[in-house]
Amino acid sequence: MSDHVDGPRSIGDPPADITDLFAFTSPENPARTVLAMCVFPSAGESAVFSNVIDHKIAVRRVSVTGIGNAAKFQPADEEIRFTFRFELLDRDAAGKVIQRGTCVLPDGRTLSLTVNDGKGASTPEGDVRVFAGLRSDPFYLAWIAATLEKVPNLLQHDNVLCIVVEFDTRRVLDPEKGSLFGVIAETVPTEPPGRIGHPPARIDWIGRPEQTNVRLNNPALLGVDDIRDLWNQQTPFAISKELQPLFLQRLKDSFTNWDMRDGKADWTPEGLAANAKVFLDDFLLFDVAKPITDESHLEIEKSTIDGRPYQTGGGRTVDANSIDILFTWLINHDREFLLGGATGATKPGTKVFPYFATPNTELQTVAESVELEVAPDMVWSLIGQFDLMWHPNVAKVNLTGAGIGQLRRIETRDGREIVERLDVVDGAKRFYRYSLVAGVPASRYAGTIEVKPKGRGCVAEWRVEFLANNQPNSAVRTVVSTLVKTGLGSLKQRFAAAA
Amino acid sequence: MEREPPCPSATDGEIAAINLESARRRAWTRFAQDACLLGVAEAVVDQERLAAQFFSDLDALDRLEALAAQLALVDASSRAALVQAEVASTAHRFADARGHLSRATLMGARREEIERQSLSIDQACGVKLDAVLAARQQVAAASGRLEDLVPLGALLADLERFAEADAVYRQALFSYRDVSPFPLAWVCFQLGMLWGELVPVPDPKLAAFWYRRAIAYLPGYVKARVHLAEICASQDRPGDAEALLMPVLSSRDPEVRWRLADALIAQERFQEAETQLDAARSGFDELLQRHLLAFADHAAEFYAGSGNDFRRAVELARANVANRPTRRAVEQAQAIAVQVDEAAASRSVRSMQCAGGVSRRLAARCAAQHDQVIR
Repeated sequence: MSDHVDGPRSIGDPPADITDLFAFTSPENPARTVLAMCVFPSAGESAVFSNVIDHKIAVRRVSVTGIGNAAKFQPADEEIRFTFRFELLDRDAAGKVIQRGTCVLPDGRTLSLTVNDGKGASTPEGDVRVFAGLRSDPFYLAWIAATLEKVPNLLQHDNVLCIVVEFDTRRVLDPEKGSLFGVIAETVPTEPPGRIGHPPARIDWIGRPEQTNVRLNNPALLGVDDIRDLWNQQTPFAISKELQPLFLQRLKDSFTNWDMRDGKADWTPEGLAANAKVFLDDFLLFDVAKPITDESHLEIEKSTIDGRPYQTGGGRTVDANSIDILFTWLINHDREFLLGGATGATKPGTKVFPYFATPNTELQTVAESVELEVAPDMVWSLIGQFDLMWHPNVAKVNLTGAGIGQLRRIETRDGREIVERLDVVDGAKRFYRYSLVAGVPASRYAGTIEVKPKGRGCVAEWRVEFLANNQPNSAVRTVVSTLVKTGLGSLKQRFAAAA
Repeated sequence: MEREPPCPSATDGEIAAINLESARRRAWTRFAQDACLLGVAEAVVDQERLAAQFFSDLDALDRLEALAAQLALVDASSRAALVQAEVASTAHRFADARGHLSRATLMGARREEIERQSLSIDQACGVKLDAVLAARQQVAAASGRLEDLVPLGALLADLERFAEADAVYRQALFSYRDVSPFPLAWVCFQLGMLWGELVPVPDPKLAAFWYRRAIAYLPGYVKARVHLAEICASQDRPGDAEALLMPVLSSRDPEVRWRLADALIAQERFQEAETQLDAARSGFDELLQRHLLAFADHAAEFYAGSGNDFRRAVELARANVANRPTRRAVEQAQAIAVQVDEAAASRSVRSMQCAGGVSRRLAARCAAQHDQVIR
């Protein structure tokens, strides 16, 4: 998955784990460029940045020094660097957690920001604007990479922590000197660890998407060592000369395997070798003098390897289908576009700063229970009935069908109509599970009613999980919680006499 | 402790705790979306175990058992059996865990995964220790990673090879190359246990040093606070013990209430102590009802001491021995039996006095074993 969880070591602290890197022309202003990096795969709603990591985005001017089978992109030594650092947590007057941070700009100016402030922060001159905070994961992967089976997006509803910097292209990059650039992002400890051993220069880094999880660690290459951590310890723009042959050979082996995934050899051995050499120099190429679109990702590399001048600005937009573009290139050399099981991420990017969609909401849970001083079977004989007629808020129920798949159409006393489906029932274990068909503004709505023995009596439990649909969590939660609490509360009264 | 080098820096403990909770909740959401998705159930297990190990989240075991049951309903592959084994091990239901592993083997689970879990179970149960040691040494030498070095250190400590254990723990600590505070706090805690409770002649000063470092990494590390509080109490500093325990009262770990009661008794605040002891007693009762084997060792120590119920202590110690007949478990059962005899000879309030005394080292040893199983 892009660069998500790309090595055993990076599993350590999730905010150090880089998932993606982007470079594109600002949708708001074509005179500005946007660079963005994401960290923390599958971040939850409360995720924050580490206070001991520098998040760096580094750009170097690049020249094309060879084409065709001699394709080569040579980076300059000079580096344009944005460094983000985040502070310990603070709290506002209401006790809400706040995290602040700073971005050190390439010219040494410092810009302060507050995490999750959607407006971001700008320099007084307005030439640079930055954002940091939780966003919907823009990446989507809809393949099982080992078998090329198409599946729905494996990162659906995921969030990541995003860092976005937008700047005046002319002022920061000075494209008059050359408009082609390579960009990388890295996470680096702010201070070295103990005096014993050598502190790591970085924890993770990324150039083009999928260098680690697809190209170096091709899941179909069996019996080979996992060299992702070794790769992550390399210095961007300067891969160790001693280790270059190892990485190059792995890329060749991997690309040979990818080429034959459809049973056809679309690459010559020379082409595979050229491809491996270009991808060994791992930085994301973008040209600020040419159009960067959702389709232009990797076009610079691909055209140059194929021996022709590139036409676009390459880069990578928020909505770029980077995995399918890569698979198509590796597997059939762009003979036929390979589309996975999804056509977009959970949410598309936006046309306004910070360009990454708002975060996805978490699964909500309402769970209540009531202890009753009567035998479990007695309670189950009542609430184990799928018709829910025991519930005081239920005015009328229509049942359709029988057994698993049975539908109940409930009319509540306040006029709401809810349709639910029976999914699982186990009389011996005294539980049933159902899902919502219609009537509550929620998706992935699943409920469980269960009766467990406890002491000489029992506990009746009712648990509902859901994702609110276009409604605040609290609004849907109130509806569900009222239903659950009223129902269980009525059992207390009903069985009090029997106890 | 000037002679100790500075520890590696790590993400602030509060940030790490928030991010763990964030990731844990998100993992559950992903599990609800698609329980069969590779790696999702396993991520939930990892995060719930961290919550249990560091923050004594007592509901984690319940949640894990619900996860294993749900996964078994929807996933017919060996994965479900492996997750069930992991969950059973976490709850110290080692016989169940072995059963699940046997099923997983028959269903074609990867040999490495079966061996990894079997190794942990053998170590926790104190069986085939020579083979376990050889395997642990081989794995640790090959990877050099903290997560492989710490179990080796724990095993060396079990085998009373304390100097080697210390060296391995330090290697783990200073070779760590990431910034998560969880592994670092874990190693510091293990070093605290080693020097405070496992070596023949404990060094409370050194142990306190390591516990403080564990707490510095993770202020919410409940067990580290409990153990450091015990040292404070043993040094006639019950006020310090109380101050250490108060911030983690919300963890619902009955051991916090128990040690707080001891600190209050030492300050002659008997009424407050009684309230804490009642809370500890009902906390242990509730835990034992749900997860007897997971808490039998700790609860046995409680009932043999401040809990003042020797019959129950003996029953629990025996249950623990039957579940995993390790040398420590047997020693614990014997020590409690001796206490029962003494109590029978002299029924007095001395049970209150011995609250953190004779039994503390044994309780700590069991805790060490518990923590290494959790990993």
